Amino acid sequence: MNEPIEDLYQDLVLEHKRAPRHFGKLAAPTHEARGRNPSCGDDISVQLRIAEGELAEIGFVGQGCAICIASTSMMAEALYGKPLAAADALRNRFRAVLTGDGDPDDAALGKLVSLAGVRRYPNRIKCALLGWHALAHAMQQPIGGTAAPTIEEPEA
Amino acid sequence: MADSAIDFARDFPGLAQDVHGVRLAYLDNAATTHMPNEVLDAVRDFETTSRANIHRGVHTLSQRATDAFDGAREQLKRFVGAGPAHELVFTSGTTEALNLVAHGLSDAGLGRPVLAAGDEIIVTALEHHANFVPWQAAARRSGAVLRVLRPDPEGRLHTEALARLLGPRTRVFAVTAGANASGERPPFEALLKMAADAGAMTVLDAAQAVGHEVPDLSSLACDFMAFSGHKMYGPMGIGALVGRRERLERLAPLRLGGDMVEWVTEQHTTFAELPARLEGGTPNVGGAVGMAAAAKFIERVGRDTIDGHVCALRRYAVDRLSELPGVRVLSADSPRTAIASFLTEDAHPHDLGTLLDHRGIAVRTGNHCAQPLLDCLGIGPTTRASFAIYNTRAEVDRLAAAVAEALRALR
Repeated sequence: MNEPIEDLYQDLVLEHKRAPRHFGKLAAPTHEARGRNPSCGDDISVQLRIAEGELAEIGFVGQGCAICIASTSMMAEALYGKPLAAADALRNRFRAVLTGDGDPDDAALGKLVSLAGVRRYPNRIKCALLGWHALAHAMQQPIGGTAAPTIEEPEA
Repeated sequence: MADSAIDFARDFPGLAQDVHGVRLAYLDNAATTHMPNEVLDAVRDFETTSRANIHRGVHTLSQRATDAFDGAREQLKRFVGAGPAHELVFTSGTTEALNLVAHGLSDAGLGRPVLAAGDEIIVTALEHHANFVPWQAAARRSGAVLRVLRPDPEGRLHTEALARLLGPRTRVFAVTAGANASGERPPFEALLKMAADAGAMTVLDAAQAVGHEVPDLSSLACDFMAFSGHKMYGPMGIGALVGRRERLERLAPLRLGGDMVEWVTEQHTTFAELPARLEGGTPNVGGAVGMAAAAKFIERVGRDTIDGHVCALRRYAVDRLSELPGVRVLSADSPRTAIASFLTEDAHPHDLGTLLDHRGIAVRTGNHCAQPLLDCLGIGPTTRASFAIYNTRAEVDRLAAAVAEALRALR
């Protein structure tokens, strides 16, 4: 295995950890959800403004490890302004790469390829997916709805 | 002292391996310690010469197994200073032992539960979830009120704060002998005495202390003490609840079934005497034998030798880690602790843990099953290094160097 600093913590990942994109709350969100990982305390809230079938705006707040923050930041960047269907498709491709079911060189992943090394660290996969879980739940949860707004990742 | 520890490392076959091409430095002993050959040999010897169910047969192996189990109980009772007024019940570990107390005081299995609506239970905010969540459930089940003894901003517990919480309805006080998340070693002797003097039943979670300090029941105002085999150089899946017999008598059994009954008819059952009453089902006899062998190991090496070694390593780790910019060790001044739990600016513990693992260094990262404590202290997850007899100053040096390197990379 390569040194993790080359494999897991590539420059692009650390750059997104230091300066996450779309970090902050939205002025007028329509959907939101919170994801927490009780084993490590990671806690990410994703807000969306959904308009005409698109993710018109994405924002997130919270705290987590470098993998969690970078993955959520790249997710927000990749999906900002995209159709809802694109979010589901990208999430499925990204998850498949991490769980070993997809091609890590998948061109459609864009910058997210820099996180493909996570698949060699099974106990870190849920770090990379926490923001994506929150996104999926947010898409199902209009603000003011009755669904519980918090999801808990099971302990590893 | 460091030299003698190197000799000990040779006796622990689980440590003699490389991780990612580097010699393992195992610094996760607050989670689980490794086992010396003499413990592994004791378990193997039992399984190959005496394996059979206990109390069940008149055949030779059953009698050997029964003798081995009873012998392990006596060995461990002596180890923690239990006298004629005490009894020891084997459990799967500290978690089951503490559940047995909290459930046993709030369940109606023997008739009327000990705890009643309006009674008060005091737990401290330093507790592992295993000494916290069962008391939340006991309070709900019985209608008792749960009160929490909180630490000062440095994470320390004070008798003055306990005095303010104790009252005429206080029935239970539960405290740890060593906080697994922060490393704080509270003045549990004085806290237990104050609670007992106020008429409360007292519960000590000794999981973190039993591997080096070994609380002595003969000098403590303690009704129930829980500890685990796998944190004292023994096997996983075995632990003990030891306490005053008259208090143990009042616990409703957690597990109903074989070996814990006296007489069973279609509609009614009478229960066996202690300790069998609280040990329903086939016990982990091999684990009990291994746990007793671990107690013998601690006695042979000397509890003062082990305590001195791990506490000195911890002090050295505090010094080395505190030199690094952006690192703060929790409860840095706490006495008699083997745990160095620390916060790192701009680096998350999980990232640090992965990078340390690639230098062959095993540490624990996260919230350590102690969310109420971290909330109290206003902090997030931590990185925790914890020491055992086989660890060395050279390993602490490796830890400090690897933390410094990781922080440079992650910032």
